[in-house]
Amino acid sequence: MTSILPSSGALFATILKVLSPGSPQARSIFNLGVETSVILAAIFAIVAGIIVYALMRFRWREGEPDPHQTAGNTKIEIVWTVIPCLIVVALFALTARTMASADPPSVGAPDVIVTGHQWWWEVRYPGAGVVTANEIHIPVGRPISVQLRSADVLHEFWVPELARKITAVPGHPNHIWIEADKPGAYLGVCSEFCGTQHAWMHFLVIAESAAEFAAWQQAQLHPALRPAERVAAKGLALFEQTSCVSCHAIKGTAARANVGPDLTHFASRRQLGAGIVDNTPQNLRRWLADPQQVKPGAKMPDFKFTDEQLTQLVAYFETLQ
Amino acid sequence: MNALTAVLNRAGLLTPQQREHWEMAWLSTVDHKRIGILYMVTGLVFFVVGGVEALLIRLQLAGPNNTFLHPDTYNMLFTMHGTTMIFLVAMPVLFGLANYIVPLQIGARDMAFPRLNAFSFWLVPFGGILLHFSFLAGGAPAVGWFAYAPLSEMPYSSQLGVDYWALALLVLGIGSVGTSINLLVTVLSRRAPHMTLRRLPLFTWMIFVNSFLVIVALPVLNAALVMLLADRRLGTHFFLPSGGGSAIMWQHIFWAFGHPEVYIVALPAFGILSEIIPVFSRKPIFGYEFVAGSTVAIAFLSLLVWAHHMFTVGLGHTVDLFFVASSLLIAIPTGVKVLAWSATMVGGRIKLNTPMLFCVAALVQFLVAGLTGVSHAVAALDWQTKNSYFLVAHFHFVFVGLIVFAILGAVHYWFPKFSGRMLSERLGKWTFWLMTIGFNLTFVIQHFLGLAGMPRRVYTYPDLPGWGWMNLLSTVGAFVMGVAALVLVWNLSRSLLRGKPAGDNPWQAWTLEWATTSPPPHENFQTLPPIRSRRPLWDDANPDRPDPVVGAQWKAETHLPEKNQASILAFMVSETGFFGVLILAYLYYNAVPPPGSNAHDLNVLKTGLFSLCLFASSATLWRSEVSERRGRPRALAAWLTATIVLGGIFLVGQGMEYWDLFRRGVSVNSNLFSATFFTLTGFHGLHVCVGLIALLVVLGLRIGRGAKPGHSPALRTVGLYWHFVDAVWVVVFSVVYLRPLIQ
Amino acid sequence: MVIALSAIAVAAYVAAFRLNRRIGWLLIALGTVWLTLLSPLNALADGYLFSAHMVQHILLLLVVPALALFSLPRSQSLLAGPRWLRRPLLGWFAGVGAMWFWHAPAMCNAAVSSRPVHAVQTVSLLLLGGLFWRQILAPWETERLAPPAAVLYLFSACIACSVLGIIITFSPVTVCSIYAGQSLDPLGLLATIRQGWGFSASRDQQIGGLLMWVPMCLIYLAAILAQIARWFAMASAPTRRAI
Repeated sequence: MTSILPSSGALFATILKVLSPGSPQARSIFNLGVETSVILAAIFAIVAGIIVYALMRFRWREGEPDPHQTAGNTKIEIVWTVIPCLIVVALFALTARTMASADPPSVGAPDVIVTGHQWWWEVRYPGAGVVTANEIHIPVGRPISVQLRSADVLHEFWVPELARKITAVPGHPNHIWIEADKPGAYLGVCSEFCGTQHAWMHFLVIAESAAEFAAWQQAQLHPALRPAERVAAKGLALFEQTSCVSCHAIKGTAARANVGPDLTHFASRRQLGAGIVDNTPQNLRRWLADPQQVKPGAKMPDFKFTDEQLTQLVAYFETLQ
Repeated sequence: MNALTAVLNRAGLLTPQQREHWEMAWLSTVDHKRIGILYMVTGLVFFVVGGVEALLIRLQLAGPNNTFLHPDTYNMLFTMHGTTMIFLVAMPVLFGLANYIVPLQIGARDMAFPRLNAFSFWLVPFGGILLHFSFLAGGAPAVGWFAYAPLSEMPYSSQLGVDYWALALLVLGIGSVGTSINLLVTVLSRRAPHMTLRRLPLFTWMIFVNSFLVIVALPVLNAALVMLLADRRLGTHFFLPSGGGSAIMWQHIFWAFGHPEVYIVALPAFGILSEIIPVFSRKPIFGYEFVAGSTVAIAFLSLLVWAHHMFTVGLGHTVDLFFVASSLLIAIPTGVKVLAWSATMVGGRIKLNTPMLFCVAALVQFLVAGLTGVSHAVAALDWQTKNSYFLVAHFHFVFVGLIVFAILGAVHYWFPKFSGRMLSERLGKWTFWLMTIGFNLTFVIQHFLGLAGMPRRVYTYPDLPGWGWMNLLSTVGAFVMGVAALVLVWNLSRSLLRGKPAGDNPWQAWTLEWATTSPPPHENFQTLPPIRSRRPLWDDANPDRPDPVVGAQWKAETHLPEKNQASILAFMVSETGFFGVLILAYLYYNAVPPPGSNAHDLNVLKTGLFSLCLFASSATLWRSEVSERRGRPRALAAWLTATIVLGGIFLVGQGMEYWDLFRRGVSVNSNLFSATFFTLTGFHGLHVCVGLIALLVVLGLRIGRGAKPGHSPALRTVGLYWHFVDAVWVVVFSVVYLRPLIQ
Repeated sequence: MVIALSAIAVAAYVAAFRLNRRIGWLLIALGTVWLTLLSPLNALADGYLFSAHMVQHILLLLVVPALALFSLPRSQSLLAGPRWLRRPLLGWFAGVGAMWFWHAPAMCNAAVSSRPVHAVQTVSLLLLGGLFWRQILAPWETERLAPPAAVLYLFSACIACSVLGIIITFSPVTVCSIYAGQSLDPLGLLATIRQGWGFSASRDQQIGGLLMWVPMCLIYLAAILAQIARWFAMASAPTRRAI
């Protein structure tokens, strides 16, 4: 019995992410949730209790006359108007406190600028100059200042375990802090409807030790190497010749556009298509063969590559570590 | 068709002379009872449509990574489901109930404006068809029922769906305002003698307050739709950040309408609960005054809280906190209501017939919805739960748990009155239990899906722990509700033909609709019982212990205002809402003059002179009203002609100004100044045109009547409208033309 | 000055109505005036915080006149005075107009920078507020608006003021520029307020607008509910049964 309880509690926590906060900010919202739930549950118990009591105690029986016609009681009604007023004041105070602790104002320049696109997230570290997509690396235990922007429609940035959600509004930059107590990969989603592929606009927040984070950032700064291997080199040539370059950028090549995700360190990312599949060579091949098959509505067209070309491109992209 | 005639005959819904032409009897009806039924049947048809959409949505979500529906199809379906359920189901059904019941409850023979009533009704099927026609015209809208800009704008939704959506909502909005003006004026001016405002049954009271809310709130949506359509079709940039517009502005305007809208469909449901719970507890409502007063408080507060839909959009903590406060306050009058209903049951003799079962379930489910609603008002929690399935669960607890359940209670309660026959209690209980189990199965679990981090409006989801089986359960529940709907339809059609005869008052209820036959005759009542309290039929049945008399000593209460003037005043309130939004938009977008042409390019002096003509026309109209009162038809006609001429001169002046601007290359899509300027002055000009036509009609009628003196409400009514149009111009002129002078 | 005028007000009240219990309301009203004009609130409103000025504005227009009207003996008719002063429309425009007029940028700045204008503003707010509230709170029942009309009167006034509050809250430009500038700093507090308390100029204006929008509406709402209570109290006073 004792072994079942903690494990079911752990299962509960893995499922209900909002209830397993992984940062001080999320924890202060969680605590407010507990306090509020206690108040609301008490209200529910009292009122539902009255209703159930009435249903059990005051049933109609054949032949009985109508009961005493009570039209109300002003005193009782004033009491039950005043008590909610007090509850409202208490909830307001709790809310104000939590808003300040869960979402402090921004200070200085942001550490990360996240821009929502239909249907992926662009991630920039303005200090270091790193640019990536759908993956936000952060050092553990340090609040990171994130600025939210949008390149097109509304999107919404939500990592339930780490922070509040906030909308990415075109022309109106927003700000939140994210932080993680423990290393790990935390799933984030877009929670504001943004069009066809709103469902697949996931991202990962990857929290790692300061050293790992520094190493990651260092690695991301390197431009892509020109592949020595023959097939991959053909892939690069093909990439540079086709209209791939009018949307994507790969540092160290001629491709500098930023309509689609930056691919310089593509192979280092865990997922493809903003979370729709894992980033494996097989999935990449499927994606390049027909993006619309994998993610209908995605902005990337079908280039009708031949099998040979697909092999070359996959070989090249796998070098982009 | 013959089968249908047989059904209608059998159900006693046609008079003998109508049997030959039953289609015309129903299609051309202006009788409030038939229009009420038409409203409800239309609502039922669209309920099936919206329900099938819901089932398709749930099928797609039954398992992770499902590919049953294309993402675009799914997005269309949830957009249409939301729009349909709110505008084509909840509102028509509630308007239908109000249409049927309100005149009966106040002892009236019909609505104040039977033909306006028919017109407003027919706008519903028309709007519904317009909306659904988009499926054939390149695809339904796929932007959500809230149509957030810029997704709803041309660059991101280039198909016609959004245009159909906006046009349909405009049509439906106009119909809703029409019906609400009608209901408001009916309650004000068509009450039976001694049915004072303080003796109104609570359903009628809430419909009365609700009508006011519709009149205030719907025009705000209309203004937003007009701007959205201008963006999409005329190339303006109200909500497009790329052209200087503001995406957040759309949210403000939409929710300034959207939040009251929640109460627009909830208040009638509250009214239903306030009727049914007392009758089946055999006891009057506990604290009528508090229930009635809290309704006003809710209606008022609902206009004050819209920004709580925007806690995550980044308005800043300052703004958020004020709206936390005002949103939490709504819990107080709502709580007062819930407690009043509960206390009504305490000490009663509760009969658990089907209507009462639905109402008790609605009460408990609304309690849950209200409490989760409080958690959304607590902004910091909303930051986590908003736009997740927790929110989906919350508002379905309001819309289905409260409103649909209350409607079902109302249908079971009033069906005997509509048809003269009882519904089957056995089938009714089947409907109830299937519905309750299905509903809770579907939506309780969705709270937890939200806490698991599942965002709303996604066409599919990854196979994360727990998500699959929770969604599957939810889908199963939805289908149980579908079965419940089938049982309901079966019960309705079976009972229409073979139900037990109901008699006048099968529930021993106490309001006036039960004092006439079932169904009521053409003009409703042969005789009315004496009305001294809020429950005339109780007093009638219990002469030994009647209700306390509710005073009517106060003069203004027995006074019934003239219906035409009352309606035009209500219309003016609604127009004020519409122009108010356009004026606010003008002020917002021109606070800093946008690049390009701006208000300094306008010719203040010239327009000022033309404006003087318009203002003078109010004076001449006033003179003609005076002439009418003094019985001088010739002077009346002369002053009226002068009014029309002056109004015409103003329009010519407007035309010259427009021409001048066009010549300089300034048109509606030049920049935000021109967009706001042309929208605002253009709509005002349109109103002047309408006013001129109305004045011409009045003049024509007057001339047709010759020199005969006489009083008609037409001049006074149209006159009010004309003065209003002039008053709007005072504001517009000050804001657009005079404001730049002092800056 | 304020103290002297308060003393005169009390003296005049006693002279007119003798000492009675209702003078308590007058004392509360005067207390509110003191709170408004003689407290740190006034110092903050004097060139530092638009929001503090807004609190003053609301108190002087909506709270003090209402309290003063409460203090009048129930026997006192307000019918004296010209007929046009009794029109509801005038009362409505007095209440709403006072809000709009004094928040026109020029007037708002003038009231802060010039003593005489400030005095005129204070007095006019009190008087206009009195005109507004007399329709609702006149001592004689018959001189008040009937409850349904009063509800409409208050509701429309609330909307008209909210609109201004909304404009001020979301206005991208400064409404009352004198508060945004650095020019006025008589007490050397500006840095503390801006940095220490976190009242940036734009946030200050936002709070001012929100005060006019939300709390002010709640005052109107309270009045509306009081009207409904009054209405129903007329109905069934004697026969209400207890539970």
